[in-house]
Amino acid sequence: MFEVTRYEGRRRMRGTAVLTALLAVYALLIVFLYPSIAESGADFEEYVESLPPAFREGFVGSASFTTVEGFLSVEMYQFLWLLLLGLFVAYSAGALVAADVESGRLDMLLATPISRSRVLIEKYLSLLVPVLGVNLVTPFVVYAGLRAIGETIDPVSLFALHLLSIPYLLTCAGVGLLLSVRLDRADIAQRGGIGAVFGLFLLDTVSTDTDFEWLGAVSPTRYYSPVDILSEGTYDVAGALLLLAGAIACVGVSVALFERRDF
Amino acid sequence: MAAIEVSGLSKHYGDVRANDDLTFTVRKGEIFGYLGPNGAGKTTTIRSLLGFQSPTEGTATVLGHDVRDEDELIEAKAEIGYLPGDPGLDEQVTGREYLDYQASLKGDERRGELLELFDPPLDRKIREYSRGNKQMVGIVQAFMHDPDLVIMDEPTSGLDPLKQEAFNEFLRGERERGKTVFFSSHVLGEVRRVCDRVGIIREGKLVTLEDIDALLRRGGKRVRVHTRSDADLAGLDGEGIVDREAFDDGVQFTFTGDYNALVSLLAQYDIVDLEIEEPPLEDVFMHFYGAD
Repeated sequence: MFEVTRYEGRRRMRGTAVLTALLAVYALLIVFLYPSIAESGADFEEYVESLPPAFREGFVGSASFTTVEGFLSVEMYQFLWLLLLGLFVAYSAGALVAADVESGRLDMLLATPISRSRVLIEKYLSLLVPVLGVNLVTPFVVYAGLRAIGETIDPVSLFALHLLSIPYLLTCAGVGLLLSVRLDRADIAQRGGIGAVFGLFLLDTVSTDTDFEWLGAVSPTRYYSPVDILSEGTYDVAGALLLLAGAIACVGVSVALFERRDF
Repeated sequence: MAAIEVSGLSKHYGDVRANDDLTFTVRKGEIFGYLGPNGAGKTTTIRSLLGFQSPTEGTATVLGHDVRDEDELIEAKAEIGYLPGDPGLDEQVTGREYLDYQASLKGDERRGELLELFDPPLDRKIREYSRGNKQMVGIVQAFMHDPDLVIMDEPTSGLDPLKQEAFNEFLRGERERGKTVFFSSHVLGEVRRVCDRVGIIREGKLVTLEDIDALLRRGGKRVRVHTRSDADLAGLDGEGIVDREAFDDGVQFTFTGDYNALVSLLAQYDIVDLEIEEPPLEDVFMHFYGAD
């Protein structure tokens, strides 16, 4: 079991290492920037107030820039984890099947004595390598960085922030996977994955605090909020379970489509 | 039990009938050539046999297992090797890593032995491979789990002539060991060197099933003769000569008769240049199976 996951996961190691390193550098940059921002805190709050409401909702929420939790959750997590990583896994998942169809690699796999459902699920699971990789390393980098500048945050919240991002990212990957089994061209599936996750993010942010707030309920971003976790210490566990269910649903539908498709 | 039993197999893509009511049997222990021009539907049949796509109508069994039933087909695939003409390998891994991967999925009890015959540079990344090296990795992965049946789609494209001959020799050895090979090709010459029987497919339909000897008698040779310009070429005609076309200083025809007669006939002329070659498959069809 898990030969496909092992093989594809190994192939993601290098990319994951690079991604993790880049995120660590960015995290440290943000952390070391904090003291000077905190000093000029009041001006910054004013600047945030002047942002368009939707933008504020999308990236800032209830966070305060003058606390380290608020600053980190906005400058780093709301942007990198919620948006960029979400887009990244959706993009990666878009290639899972479509790229193999394009290159003929899928034929070589389907010719072996393993079922289509196993092929697809194992391929999907290989995305756990980047998803777990960045979430295992980054909290330690952030925590150590904060200690270095004499700040500290609640380690439980930091841990929860990373843990709860996993179901969120798996859902984004599920969206990419769905497109990947439907479309023959990897670049279209990948761009579609990015477009879908970004579109859902926008839907969530623009509908918040309007009469159409329910519209944003279809967006995975509604159920994972770095700002809430870090600034307020509230964990949306039900949301995380919902995201997990969403991920499983995406994979289930993808398997059904994949099993019936001609290649 | 037959190795492959195709019964009424049809595959339509919209209005295109890529395979139309195909019925034939591949016996155990034979090398079966599946011959047809490009676009005739050979790959479609192979993809149905391997379960990559499901038939529109009819079905087939491989090693006794119905291709429409995934569980059954998986059981069969443990004993099937697949070799496409341009195998989809991972460019970013080495040949060894790729073979390790395939081995983890289906086994590799014969890998070492095969690598003595087909020796791609295993420790280099596959993206640096020549076409021939890629094909050798393809051959090794197709046979390394010692399958009872190997399905090959235009397998020798990319191999240099020496490797091609080694591959043919290897296939004959496999036949001796009781293995069955299903071998698609659009080149008559390729099929004739190794196959026992040939099925010819054209526009999705099976045109004929023949022993290779019968096919070769029908196939003939394309002959092109250049003589001194003043020669009288009218005599260059007769039994076994068809589709004759004369030009300024020579004549071209397809010869299907006795080669000794051809040699005696040609000996009467002062020949400047002579070409005798395999006729294009399309011509074989035109001459022996009619244009329709």
